[in-house]
Order: sequence, then structure tokens, then C-alpha cells
Amino acid sequence: MNSTYSEEGKAADYPPEQRALLLRLRVYINLRWLTILAIIIATIVASTLFHISFPTLPVYIICAIIATYNFLFFHLTRRLEKQEPDLVVRRAEAYSYTQVILDSAILTLLLHYTGGLENPFIFLYIIHTNAAAIFLPKRRVYELTTLAMMMVTGLVLAEYFGIIPHVNLGGFVLPFRYLDLSRIVAVLVALATLAYATVYVATSIVGELRRRQREVVALKDKLLEQRAKELEQISAEVVKLVDERRHFVRFLSVVAHDLQSPLVATQSLLSYILDGYTGEITEGQKDLMHRGIRRIDGLLTLITDLLDIPRIEAGEVKREMREIYLNDIIKQAMDGLDSLAKQKGLELKVELPESYSKVYASGRRLQQVITNLTSNSINYTRDGVVLVRASEGDEDVRIEVIDTGIGIPPDDLPRLFEDFFRGSNVGAKGTGLGLSISKRIIEAHGGKIWAESPAPETGKGSKFTFTLPKAGVAVKESEPKTYKG
Amino acid sequence: MKQRPKILLVDDDADLVAVMRGALESKAYEVIVAYNGQEGLEKAKKEKPDLVVLDILMPVADGFTFADQFRKEPSLAKVPVLALTGFSESLGQPFAFEVSEYISKPIKPKDLVVKVEEFLKKTESQG
Repeated sequence: MNSTYSEEGKAADYPPEQRALLLRLRVYINLRWLTILAIIIATIVASTLFHISFPTLPVYIICAIIATYNFLFFHLTRRLEKQEPDLVVRRAEAYSYTQVILDSAILTLLLHYTGGLENPFIFLYIIHTNAAAIFLPKRRVYELTTLAMMMVTGLVLAEYFGIIPHVNLGGFVLPFRYLDLSRIVAVLVALATLAYATVYVATSIVGELRRRQREVVALKDKLLEQRAKELEQISAEVVKLVDERRHFVRFLSVVAHDLQSPLVATQSLLSYILDGYTGEITEGQKDLMHRGIRRIDGLLTLITDLLDIPRIEAGEVKREMREIYLNDIIKQAMDGLDSLAKQKGLELKVELPESYSKVYASGRRLQQVITNLTSNSINYTRDGVVLVRASEGDEDVRIEVIDTGIGIPPDDLPRLFEDFFRGSNVGAKGTGLGLSISKRIIEAHGGKIWAESPAPETGKGSKFTFTLPKAGVAVKESEPKTYKG
Repeated sequence: MKQRPKILLVDDDADLVAVMRGALESKAYEVIVAYNGQEGLEKAKKEKPDLVVLDILMPVADGFTFADQFRKEPSLAKVPVLALTGFSESLGQPFAFEVSEYISKPIKPKDLVVKVEEFLKKTESQG
């Protein structure tokens, strides 16, 4: 892989490399500040510490020149950062090449004034060419290296042939060493070999890094594409599933109706006989027919409950929700249960807050839950009171159903709301679905439901509590707050 | 009510119809039956009943459609309708049309008769 920046300026592999361009320019400029500093320090150390004598003024002047054009490039680069991407790349390239050539020339000039061939720092050209290897495309780097080598060779030979005067590092090297041809050849060959070898290594490494970078980008793009396709597939599947569920719920409604109709008809037929329309019936016959009716009742309830669950899970409850007054719902539920309580000789008490709390809920479903909890309490209480109490908090309302009944064994408490769970201390009454359905309904409303036994207020029986968010409050989990009412 | 009150039963379940008819006829009401909404409409127009007992959940020309059409018929607009609702829908749905009363299945024949009597008395007193 040869050049990452093609001659025509094609924006083939842009963003990561383009972003890196400006960074490199900045680094280059900073390096140059460091270089100036190093040159000055070296000069001071050489002349004062080691007492090597050579004219230091030219060196400082050269440093000033480097500083000047470094400053210039600093500003140009700063301006470049605000430009259009295309412009940035081409300008940055131009700046790089210019700087690099300028540096080579200045280095050579500096070398001349610091002893030429005598200066062991002649080998520092390597740093220059390798730095370029990191920033420039491979071909350019070799061109630059060759240019640098030609400049050095030119300088050394020019001094050899006397075209330009030689500056001697007094006290360091004997003044005629620069005329030693064997030495000239040795140093230049060593320098060139070192330069090309290290440049080769550097460009190989850089080339590899760039290749890897491009691979990573390509891989990332491929992954993103894959991911997008997968997402599409999944959403299509989800849409299909939602659709299928809707069909299923509709199917269930038909199933429910078809299961219930014959049962309902059978009950009516039995009732017809029981009501005497077909003539006298004996007590024995009456009793058996009542049993039949009860069994059918149980089955009808089971069917309704079973079909309720998928309906609730498919979001039916949410669709029925609107702003309603809690007190009305509770009163409605109590109407039906009053007689049930009286039959068992129990007192049914209702405590409602004075404020008319509004909740966002399905009236019929709430009534279902309240009826379920209250009738459970009535059924499992031999004597005493069943209390239904509603209170209003800051963000939610709380409804409690407390009884003085047989309570719930502690082992059963955690499993109470499971499907088909029936208490261990009761006869096999009911389907075991009432509480699990109530839980589903309350949770669909964004509320919580739980049970305590014995009830903290009375020390016996049980207490069922559920909360509902108030209308206008965002549906979220709420912690128990202080309650008024 | 000059002669025997006439009651129209509309329900697709033949057994239920038999039960309801038996119970109502034992109270000397005249009973006309229909097994779907279409039939119900025709018989209603022909016989002009004093009360209609209607099953809302019939699949063919279901109860709602029947009642809707029923109300549009000028001669039948004032006739009271007693709706039979399903087992689990009794707490339900707001009725989209004017049903005067409802009773939920399963129906005890005695309860039906009582309801019908109440109803007819009410309409009689209202004139």
C-alpha cells in the first residue's frame, strides 16, 4: 500500500487520517521548538563547558530563523483548523512538504556552521528523516531522505573542494580532518545506510499501522451494517408477534364464548326445573341439581379467569383506562358484597377519604380487584369485621382490605399471588387465579399489591393493600408515603 | 296493556329460548321467538311486541346491530329492550344504544319473569 494521500487529492480514506493530519502538524511544530532549545543548549554546553571554540553567532541566528518560520506555520495551522475538510487536507499536505524541505535546508546550514563533517551530530539527520516517515506518505519519505543525503553530501564535498569555507570545532577535532577523504566516505556511507535503513523500518511500521486502522474502520462499518439489518429483522418479527398475539386474544374471545354458551344454557335448563316449571321435584333431586349448578358456576368462573389472563397481558387493561373517581368504584363494588357479608353475619365497613381522588384506571377492572379481595376476606372470616379503607397520598392512592379472619400462614405469604395458588389452610374453593389476576391488573395500572398476615391493625386475620398512581402523575414505582384520610 | 302482553325473545341458543318461553308463557304472556337479529327485526315489525328480550352476544346480526336498527324503526322506537348480557361482561361495556335494562346470564327463569313484570308495570305507568 503506497500512498495514502494520492497526488490528485482524492478523499479516499479520510476521516481518521484527516483528523490526524492537523495533529501531526501541531506535533511537528512543537518538536521544532524543542529542537531549537536543544541546539541552543548544546551550543552553550559545547562552548562554555567543553571549551570548544567556534562562532556561535551564526548558530543563534539560524535558531532565530527556525523560530520565525515555526511561528509562521503555527499561525497558518491554527487558521487551517477552521476550514473545510477538503481544504484542510490539501493545505496540510502542502505545509508538511514545505516544512520538511525547509528543515532539511536549515539543518544543512546549521551543520555547516557547527563543523560539517566534524560534528558527530551529523547523524541527527536520521531523526529528521524518521520524523518525516511518520507524517508523510512512503514515497515522499524516500524522496526527502534522498534530498537530505544529497544536501549533506553537497555540503561536505563543497567544503572539501574549498567552494565554501569550513568551520572548525576548535579544541574538538583537528582542523584538517574535513579533508580526509576516507573519513568523508565512511561518514557519508554510514549516514546514508543508517538513514535509509531506519526510514525503511519506520515506513513499514507506519504503513502497517495505517492498514490496520483502515481495516478496523471497514470492520466497524460492516458490523454497523449487520447490526442495522438485525434490528430490522427483529422489529419485523416483533410486529409479527404483536399481530399474532392480537389474533390469539381475539381467538380466545371466541373460544370463551363457545365454551360458556352451552354451560350457561345448561344452568338455565337446571334452574328451569328447579323453579318448578316442569312439575314437583323431590328434595333429593333439588339437591343434586344445585350441586350441578354450582359445578357449572365454578367452571364458568375458571373459563373467565383463564381467558382474562392473556387479555390483560395483551394490554387490554391499559386500553380501558381513563380518569375515574375511586370512591364511586369502591361504592359500586360494595353494593354487591353487602348481602354476602350479611349472610355470614359479618360487618362490612367502608372508609373513604373526603377528597374525591381521581385515578387513571379501568373502572371495571378495579372493581374486579376490590371485589376479589373483599369477597376473599368475607369467605375466609368466620366472624368479625371486614374493613375496606381508601386513603390518599401525595402521588398515589392506597386501598386496604383488612379482615379478622383465619389469616394466611407465613409459608404461604410469598406465594400468594402465584397462578393457581391455593392456601394451605383452606378447602379447595376457587380457582386460585383471583389474586394472580388482581396482581396483573394492579401492575398494569402501575401500582403495587401485597399482603400482610396477621393484619398489623388487629393482630389477626389478613390485610391486603394495593396502590394506584393518581391521575396526572407519571406512572412509576412509588415508595410508601405518609397518608392522610 | 289491553290483552296479554306480547314479548319478543331474540336469542340464538334454542335451549335458552325454550326455558325463557316456558317461564313467560306460564305467566300467560304471549311469546314470539327469533333466533337471530334479522329474524328478530322482521318479527318485531310484524308483531309489534310490548317488550323485547335481546341477547347481545349473538354472532349473526348481533344484538347491537339489531338494537340499532330497532331504534331507527319509528313504530318500534319506544319499545323497551331487556338485554341479556354474557357471563363475564355484566360489569361491562357501556351500551352503545338505548337498552332499558339488563340481566346477566346465566338466567334463572324466575328472575327473568320478575324482571319482565317489573318492566311492563313501569312502562304501563309511564304510558
